[in-house]
Amino acid sequence: MDAFARLSDEIQELVSEFSSAPVVGNLTFGLTQYSFFLLVAAVVFCIIMAIFVKKQKLVPHGFFVNGVEYLVEYVENDVAKGVVGTGWRKHFPFLATIFFFILINNFIGLIPGMKPGTGAIGCTAALALVTFIYFVYYGCKKHGVIGYLKSLAPAGVSFPMNVFVWIIEVFSLLLRPITLAIRLFCNMFAGHIVMGSFAIMATLFAEPLLEHFSAMNALGALPSIAWLVILLIIYVVELIVAFVQAYVFTVLAAVYIQIAEAEGH
Amino acid sequence: MGVIGYGLGVIGAGLAIGLAAFGATSAMARQPEIQGRAFTVFILASAFTEALGLIGFVVTLIS
Repeated sequence: MDAFARLSDEIQELVSEFSSAPVVGNLTFGLTQYSFFLLVAAVVFCIIMAIFVKKQKLVPHGFFVNGVEYLVEYVENDVAKGVVGTGWRKHFPFLATIFFFILINNFIGLIPGMKPGTGAIGCTAALALVTFIYFVYYGCKKHGVIGYLKSLAPAGVSFPMNVFVWIIEVFSLLLRPITLAIRLFCNMFAGHIVMGSFAIMATLFAEPLLEHFSAMNALGALPSIAWLVILLIIYVVELIVAFVQAYVFTVLAAVYIQIAEAEGH
Repeated sequence: MGVIGYGLGVIGAGLAIGLAAFGATSAMARQPEIQGRAFTVFILASAFTEALGLIGFVVTLIS
C-alpha cells in the first residue's frame, strides 16, 4: 500500500497550497489568490443585486427574484426582527450586507478550482473588526461613551464585586471579534482541506489503474469509489456549512448589537 | 504526532455536538410544535462547538 505512504506528503503539499501566495505583486501590495476571489465575489454580489433591483416588481416572478427575496426576508424576519428586536430597521442594511457578502464568498469557494475569499484570516478579521466597531459605536451612541463602559457591568452588583465583573465583561467584549474571525476562517479553511484530502486519496488509489490496466490494479482502485462517495457527502455538508456560517456570523453580529443597545442588564 | 493532537482535541467537540443533538431531539420529541425553533438553536450550538474542533484541526495542520 504505497498510496498511504505518499498521502502525508501530498497533504503537506495541499496545505502549503492553501497559504496565501501573491498572484499579482507581492504580499505587502498586491493580490493573493484569496483577495482575487474576494474581488470576484464582490463583483458577483453587485451584479446579483443590480439584476435583482431591476427585475423587482410588486408581484415577484421567477426563481431568481423569488430566491433572493426569500433570503432577504429570512435575514429580516429571523435575524433583524427576531434577535435585534425594536430598532431593527436601522441595523438591517448592515446585517444583510454582511450575510450576503459572506454567503456569496463561501459559495464561490465551493466551485471547483476557486478559493473562498473568507478562507484567509485577513478577510474574516476585517469583517469581525467592522462588526466590532459597528456595535461599539452604536452602544456609545445610545448610552454615551461613559454610559456604555458602565453598562458593561450589570447593574445591582455591590461595589467590590462589580469591578471584577466589569473586567471579565471587558475581556469577553474584546474576545468577540477574535472568535468571530477564527470561527469563519477555520470552517472555510478546514472544510476545503478535508475535501482536498479525500480528492487526493481518490486519485492516489486510482492512479496505478490509469497507468497500467491489470486485475490487481483494478482491485486496488476500488477504495477510490468509497473516497469519491465520501467526497460527495462532504461537499453536500460544505454546502450547508457555507450557509450556516454566514447565518451564524450574522446572528452573532445581531446579538452583539442587541446587547450593546440594551437598556441595562 | 499532530494527528494524535487533533484526535485529543476533537473529543470535547464531539461530546458537545452529541449533547446538543441529544437535547434537540428530546425537545422535539416532547414538543413537536417547537421543531423549527429547536432546530435553529441546535444548528447555532453545533456551529459554535464545531468551530472548537476545527480550531484544533487547523492548528494541527499549520504548526
